[in-house]
Order: sequence, then C-alpha cells, then structure tokens
Amino acid sequence: MSASYILKRVALTFYTLFVVSVLVFGITQILPADAAVMMLGENATPEALEALRQQMGLNDPVWLQYLHWAGGVIRWDFGISMRTGQPVGPALFSALGTSLTLAVLALALMLVLAVPMGIIAAVRRGKLADLAVGFLSYVGVSLPEFVTATLAVLLIADFWGWLPPAGYIPLTQDFVGGIERLILPVTVVSVMMIAHVSRMVRSELVDVMHTDYVRAARLKGLHPRRVLFRHGLRNALLPTITIVALDVGYLLGGVIVVEEIFSIPGIGRSLMSAIQARDLPVIQAGVMIMAATYSIVNFAADLMYAWLDKRIQYD
Amino acid sequence: MTTSLTPVLQVSDYSLAYRAPRGKIPVINNIDLTIARGEILGLVGESGSGKSSMASAIMRHLPGNAEENAGSIRLGTTDLRAQNERAMSDIRGRRMSMVFQDPATSLNPTLRLGEQLAEVLIRHQGMTTAQAWREGEARLAQVGLKTPAEMMRRLPHEVSGGEKQRVVIATAFACNPELIIFDEPTTALDVITARQILDLFAELQAQTGVASLYISHDLALLSQTANRVAVLQKGTVVEQEETVRLFRAPNHSYTKALIAAAPDPDKRLVQPLEESGTPLVSVQDLSVKFGRKSWVDSLLRRDFQPVVGNQAITLDLQPGEVLGIVGESGSGKSTLAKAMTGLNRFDGLIEFDGKPVRGLSDMDRGYRRDVQIIFQHPDASLNPRQRISEILGRPVRLYGGSGNPRERIKSMLERVRLPAHYIDRFPHELSGGEKQRIAIARAFLSNPRLVICDEITSALDVSVQASVIDLLMELHRDTGAAYVFITHDINLVRQIAHRIAVMYRGDLVEISDAERITDPDRADYTRALLAAVTPPAFTHSL
Amino acid sequence: MTDFLGRLLRTPQGFLGCLIVGLIFVAVLGGHWLTPFGPEDMQALARYKAPSAEHWLGTDQYGRDILSRLLDGARSTVVMAVAATVIGTLGGAILGTGSAYLGGRADEFIMRTVDAVMAIPSLLLALLVVSLLGSNSANALLAIAIAFMPSMARISRSVALTVRKQEYVSAAIARGEGSGYIVLREMLPNVIAPIVVEMTIRVSFAVMLFATLSFLGLGAQPPATDWGLMVSEARQYLHRSYWILLWPSAAIALTAIGFNLLGDGLRDALNPRT
Repeated sequence: MSASYILKRVALTFYTLFVVSVLVFGITQILPADAAVMMLGENATPEALEALRQQMGLNDPVWLQYLHWAGGVIRWDFGISMRTGQPVGPALFSALGTSLTLAVLALALMLVLAVPMGIIAAVRRGKLADLAVGFLSYVGVSLPEFVTATLAVLLIADFWGWLPPAGYIPLTQDFVGGIERLILPVTVVSVMMIAHVSRMVRSELVDVMHTDYVRAARLKGLHPRRVLFRHGLRNALLPTITIVALDVGYLLGGVIVVEEIFSIPGIGRSLMSAIQARDLPVIQAGVMIMAATYSIVNFAADLMYAWLDKRIQYD
Repeated sequence: MTTSLTPVLQVSDYSLAYRAPRGKIPVINNIDLTIARGEILGLVGESGSGKSSMASAIMRHLPGNAEENAGSIRLGTTDLRAQNERAMSDIRGRRMSMVFQDPATSLNPTLRLGEQLAEVLIRHQGMTTAQAWREGEARLAQVGLKTPAEMMRRLPHEVSGGEKQRVVIATAFACNPELIIFDEPTTALDVITARQILDLFAELQAQTGVASLYISHDLALLSQTANRVAVLQKGTVVEQEETVRLFRAPNHSYTKALIAAAPDPDKRLVQPLEESGTPLVSVQDLSVKFGRKSWVDSLLRRDFQPVVGNQAITLDLQPGEVLGIVGESGSGKSTLAKAMTGLNRFDGLIEFDGKPVRGLSDMDRGYRRDVQIIFQHPDASLNPRQRISEILGRPVRLYGGSGNPRERIKSMLERVRLPAHYIDRFPHELSGGEKQRIAIARAFLSNPRLVICDEITSALDVSVQASVIDLLMELHRDTGAAYVFITHDINLVRQIAHRIAVMYRGDLVEISDAERITDPDRADYTRALLAAVTPPAFTHSL
Repeated sequence: MTDFLGRLLRTPQGFLGCLIVGLIFVAVLGGHWLTPFGPEDMQALARYKAPSAEHWLGTDQYGRDILSRLLDGARSTVVMAVAATVIGTLGGAILGTGSAYLGGRADEFIMRTVDAVMAIPSLLLALLVVSLLGSNSANALLAIAIAFMPSMARISRSVALTVRKQEYVSAAIARGEGSGYIVLREMLPNVIAPIVVEMTIRVSFAVMLFATLSFLGLGAQPPATDWGLMVSEARQYLHRSYWILLWPSAAIALTAIGFNLLGDGLRDALNPRT
C-alpha cells in the first residue's frame, strides 16, 4: 500500500462529500419551502419576511448561499433548525451517537451470525445445512425492515410480551433496560445483511475451496481444519470486507425505518421528521452526516483490504 | 529388504468413470502401471485422455461423482483404496506428494512461501515452527534458490514463476516421499525457465532416488526425462515401453501419430521465398507504451514511467513471406501484433504496400481487408451469441466480392475442412480445433495479403495443432499471403517460417533466416533460447 | 427460445421463480375478475373477520375483503416496481455504458461522481426525491428509478468493460467494423444477459422500497391498496386482528422471493456455454 494510494483514496472521499453536498444543497433549494415563512409564520408582514430573508442571505445568488452553507459545514456549523430554532449540529450529533449504537450492534450481530452461517453452508454444500441457510437467506433478503419490525413487535412484544415494543434508554443510564429495548431493533436491522453476507461468504468460500492452491494444500496432507481456516477462509473473507462496507449504505437506510417504528431518537428519526416538516438545515445536515459515515466506512474498508491483501499493487 | 522388490506404486486393472446427468462418462479403462524405486514413468496423453484423473485417483482426491471399479492402487505395501480420509491425509505430503502445473495458482497468494513449505514439515515431521523454518531454508537452498532466508519471508507475487516452482518442488521433496507425481510441471513456464526446472528435477531425482510419475502432453520432453513411457489415449494405455525402444519402434498407430505430429525443425513445411524487390510491410521504429500520467504523480512531482510494450521495432516483410516471432511471455510479441492491426496505439511508422500508416486513422478499409489477425483462444475470439453464418458473413459483407454470400461461406468451410452444415451452428457446439478453423476461415474470407497468427496453436493438442498447421500452410501456398507467426514453440516456427525474429522484454533482439537460427554467431539470448528447447523425440533417440 | 425456457425451468430456482412470478402476473392481469368483492366494498357487519370460505383471507377494519384488496394492490405495487426498475436500469445502463465507451478521464469523472451519489443510502435518496416532488405513487416510482441509477450504472459499466476486452470485439475492430455494428451486434447481446439478471433481482428491491415509502407515508396515499400502505394501516388494528397485517406482509415477501429466485435462475440459464 503506497502513499499515493492513500492520497488518492483521501481525495476520493473528499470528492464524494463535495458531490453529496452539492446534491443535497441543490435538492433543498428546489424544495418548495420558504424558510422565512416557516420561521415567522403565515401571518408575518411582508416587510418582516423581507428583512429576515435579507438577514439569512436568502436573496443572495444560489452559489453564494452554497458557499456560506458549505463554509459553515466545514466549521461544524450546520445552521439553525427552522422548526426548533436551535442549532442543528449538537442535536444531530447526539442523535448520531444513538444511531451508531444501533448500527454497530447490528453490524456485530451480523458478523457473528452471517460468517459462520456462510462457512457451514459452504462446507456442507448441497446438504441440509446448506439448503437451510440458502432458504433463510432468500427469505431474509425478501423481507423489508418495516415488515420484519412489525411482525417482531406483534409476536415478541405484543403476543408474548417478552420485550418492550418500542422506546429507547441510553445504555449509560440503564444498561439492562437499554439493551432490552435495543434487541428487537438491532435484530431487525441486521436481518437483511445477515441474509446477504452469509450468501456472499458461502459463494466466495465455495470458489476458494475449488482453487488450485486449496487442492494443493489438501494434497500436502494438511489437517482439514488448517486447509479450511488458514488457506480457504482467509482468502474468502477478503472480498467480504468490501461487500460489508457497501452494505453499510443499506444498513443506514434500514436504520431510518427502524428508528421510526421503534421510536428511537436517532438521526434517522430526526431526518424523517425534518423531511415531513421541510426543515431544510436539518435535512442537509442529516444527509451529509449519513453520506460521511458511509464514505468513512468504505475508506477504512479499502485501506484494510489493501493492507490485508498485499498482492494488489496500487499506484 | 523385501520392500525393494515390491514396486513403489502399483496400479492394477483400475477403471474410473464420472456420473453425469446423461449417464456415466468413462475416464480411465483398466489401467496397469508400476513404478519402481528410482524410476521415472512418463504418462503422455492429450487433453481429455484421463492423465490428470489418474493423478487424482492415486492421490485419492476424486470428486463426489467418481465411480471406480475393483482395481487396486498400492503404494508400497499399502492399499491406498482401503485407506480412509484421515489415514490418507497422513500419507499425502509424507509418503507421496505432487508438483502442479502452474505455480502461480498452486501457491496460496496470501501466505508467505516459508509458511507454505514449513506447514508440511510441521504436519508430517512433528517439527516446531522454528525447526520447520530452519529446515525449510535448507530445503530452499537445495533447490537452487540463492537467498533462501529471504525467500521464506516473501509472498508468491513477489517472486518469479521459476522461483515459485522451485518452492513447490522443495515442498514436494520436503518429507522425502516414496513417490512424487509431476503434473505438467513446466508447461506454464517460459522455455529457459522450464529447462532449468527440468535440470533441477533430474538432479533431485538422482539424489533421492524417488519414484516419479511424470505426466505431460509433450512426448519430446518425456523422451529425455522418463525411463519408461505409457501412452494414454481416451483413458486406455495403448502402449507402455522403455523410452528408447518406444521411440525407436513405436507399435501402436496412436503413438506413431503422436510422434509424427510433434514439430521437427528439419522437416521444413514451407517453400523457399521468391525474392522480390519491394517489401510488403515495413515497420519502422514502432514503439508502444502503456499507462498515463496521473494527478498524484504530478502532485508528488514524480517522473511518470510508462510501461513499455515495444521499443523501437524495425522489421520488413516480403510478399508471401512467413516471419516467425518468438520470445517468452511479456516479450512484446502480441503487443506488436495488436499495434499492426490497430488494437494498440503506437508511435512510429508502418508502411504497407508503400502506403504510410502512422496511426488508427490511416488504417482504411483497404488496410483492414489486407491485414487480418487470428487470436490464440478461439473460445474468446468467436462471439458466443452469433451463429457461424454471421461470424463468417461479416467479412463477406464488409469487403464485398462476387457470388452468393452463403455459398461463399460454405465453400470456405470446405476449404478449412469443415462440413458445410456447420454454417448454422453456434461456436460452443464445436470442438477447440474446429473453432480455430472457423477463425482461420474468417481471416481468409477477405483474401488478405498479410495474416497475423498470434499463438494460434498454443491452446490446441499436438495432433490438432499439426492439422491446423497443415491447413495454414496449404492456404499459404494457395493464396500467397504473408504470415506473421507468433509463437513460443521454437521447433514449430523453425518448420514453417522463412525468417525468425527473436524478442526479449519489448526489444527486437535479432532477425535470422530460419535455417541459420542455430549458427554459433547468433545473439546470446537467441543461443540461450535454442539451448533450452527440447529437440523432437525421434532425432534425439536415434 | 424453448431451449432457453427448458434450461430455466430445470433449475429449482428458475422453476420456483417462474411459478411465483407467473402467479403474480396472473393476479396483476386478472385480479379484477378473480374476486367477488371490490377493493373498496365495505361491509360494516363483517369487520376483522378471520379467513373463511366467504372471505378467503378475512376482512379488514372496514370490512373490506383482504384478498380483493391484495389482488387489486398487486397491480399498483408490482407494476410500479417493475416500471421503476426498468426506468432505473435503462438510465443506469445508458450512463454506465456511455461512460465505458468514452473511457479515459471522462469515464473516471462520471464513475467517481456515481460512486459519490451512492454514498447516500438509496432509501434516503428516494425519500429526498419524494419530498421534493410530493408524496404520491408516480413520484415514488420516479424516486426509486433515480435511486437505482447509480448502482445500475456501475454494474453496466463493468459488464460493458469486460465484454469490450473480449477478443471477438478486438477481432471486429481489427476487421474494420463500424462502432454501430460493434456496439449493437457484438457487444449488446453479451451485455444484456447479465443486466437482465441484475434487473430481475432489482425488482424485488423495488417492491420492498416502494412498500417502505408507502409505509412511511411518502408513497401511495389511502385508500389505495398498495401493500406497504396496507401494512402501515393495519398496525393500528393489531390487537383486533393480526390477519390484516399478515397477508400484505406475506404478499410483499413472496413477490420479493419470486423475483430473487427468477433472477438466480436466469443467471444460470442465460449462460450460453452451459
């Protein structure tokens, strides 16, 4: 992994954020919402509205408004929420913490389940275990989060009453209560990824186990466990890193739905209510934060891949 | 000791078939093989003859749909067929081991070479990791690697193909096995490297006295390495004989055909060239470079180093001449062919029939018609979703000509000795040799004056190769087209070329008359290349 | 063609996929004639009914026949999803193959930008587009199509580049074929197959995305029979009858599974060499 590869990759991350910022700013500009009216109400006098517009720079050319906004974003200043009148940044960052708790737990659960499922399916190819994993993953990728969530609440919370149906308590406040409320959302968010990643691990591992070098390892008389783990799995899991990183985009989408259903005060829920209320600064900031999360995860995954797979000569 | 009397490997009356949806496919029929200690048995056959399946059967590593008869496979006094998987994993790597065809794929790309060697010693000799790495270094020194300690720490992609194969061989010899199976160990290597690996094999074999089963498609090579040779045709051993006797007096017609099909440089297949004053093609200072300066290079103020494909190549070609181009992989042979057909950008000048061509835009329809290219893999060069009628119909439509197009295609099919009803087939319904004939027909339908053949026989079996070459030379006589014949098979090119150009790392080393390529005053590289070539079987044994 | 169908039906995925997708299309085309009730017919006396001989799948909170509503909803949900996928695929394919064709710095610029857009989760991108255009089915369709474009562009580009490197394309270039022939006759037939496979699998994503938008109140609006909307409305009446919730959920899952299976079956069947 060369310095120029890292340099290129950093530049790409910044370019991504630039494109997203232009896109988000563009979309929110077209949105039929007058910030001044929203803040002062329908009954405000035209003079007052005009004064506020002037003050907020709404009469400036679009590109100047963009520069103002982007300049603020770079200094972690995302503007003032039109709905609450509070600065957007602090509120969103605490919401981001909540969402990340949810996402990281879901990612961990996915890895703990999907990788072994994929391995078992590949090793027992064509056997019952393989068919079972295959069936589960077909069902898993075919259930949208809102269906899984609704069914889970129906069965586990309402019918059996094992877990609370919704709500959120920070883990620092009440660990047990917090975890109890996170079990359902975390499981729901991870279902689709478990299905997808276990399938990927299976097909990668099946391919690797058919390579010449795995055959050579077997014909050297190595223990089957060593052949599988040292020669097979290592190479099969490499591409999975990239796949998981790309799935983070999907995970973030799932987080929006799940936070809405389970009333979790995360960034997804803030975004949903901002979209419904046309609260432009919150929408802009929320989308930027999501895209940044995705970009950083993929940046890290690419570096990790390059570090683990020394074959690849980046220039 | 009684063990010295029992052969190391004894296969008797062994048959193997694979179950398929449409019934059983027989692969090996009632084979008997014996190898004594210190002996090298060569197993020769074309693709699909079952030679690799035989290796898998001996190693007891068969796919799930394999079906065997009651025949036996014994290693010394051990009945291999009676061993369970666990017992077999104790035998593999310790009592018998294997060297594979392509070291690039048979070594794990993400593990250090040292680990891949040491793990065998740890598994079978009960060594600790430290002991195994020390022993590994000694083994690498034994296979002629200069810096064994450094080699142990390297990853496969950091060393050359020949070095990789040395590591694989060291691994196979690591536990001093009774039997080693060599499955085409030099086929994927360049000529000079292959020769070095063969020398190493001979040396280690003599030192250790291991029994060897040497599998190859190359009779000439086996005539030099093996004590005895078994000829395998469609799963049946048609002849098994001492090497010298087999080549002196082959009994079976298939053996004779195989020997006859191997190219012999003394048997010229091309008429002498009639001298004409003006060359058909004249290539002047042709260079090809790949890559492009990136913004990171500019930012870091680095000099941009393009990859050089060809470096100022200059050569001439007479009308009707066959020019052979030889060189190892990466020497720029194909790059030159692609430049001449407008598939690569180039600097320099190509003069065709007196007209200058400096780039793609100068290659007009006339040039395209006159210059045709045939590729190595017919699988890749024929569009899988087009019927033969469309594949061959294009040159007819593009370049015109008289007569009904369909009739012209049919008569061309007959000229390349294919049945006319193939016209409505898809490429995947044809065999490899037949597909290559279609590619040849496509090139000749435009009545070209220059045909560039890029390794067109390398993917084919010996006997198929011979018939394709026959066809090519017949077309040469009939049409008078000039050929640029790119190959790594030096015996073959000496048979069919008027002149031979030798290339090395993008440079043209020299051009020589085919008859004078063996002269002592040739360039060093040319002499090294020729010295590494295995002479055809019969000249050697006589 | 019959040969191709035979290959498709021989794989278990292809067979099941054809069966499920076939049934769905029967529901889409003939849904009207298949049921005795209209999707809006309310029966005040038959609310929250469990499945019975009269109402096969039971009735909802207004006493409407769930089966009739599902069959009616198949039209909007599935047709919309297929349309969105087709538009998204076409847009993406044009962008991706165009980029591959241009090559060089233009290609790099286009693809880096496409990568950048992919940093916005597709659900979020769809949400933004719908909130921009207004919440209704037609806008949801457009939103999904737009959300699919970047990833389809990426896939079509890589397929086009793979095909572009094949020797039969080199042979055509060396022969002096025009770019029209090369693109349409040499490349397109080999590019289409993998894109069709990807598109089929994408339909299941579109069904789910469409339902999710409706569920969040940003797609179809009541009293539409959109499946996602049905699930959303049913949540309030969970404790009265869970059938209202179960059936549309099952319909979404079954449709998604069907298109997933069909895509995998097509992948095997479209390979010309097997």
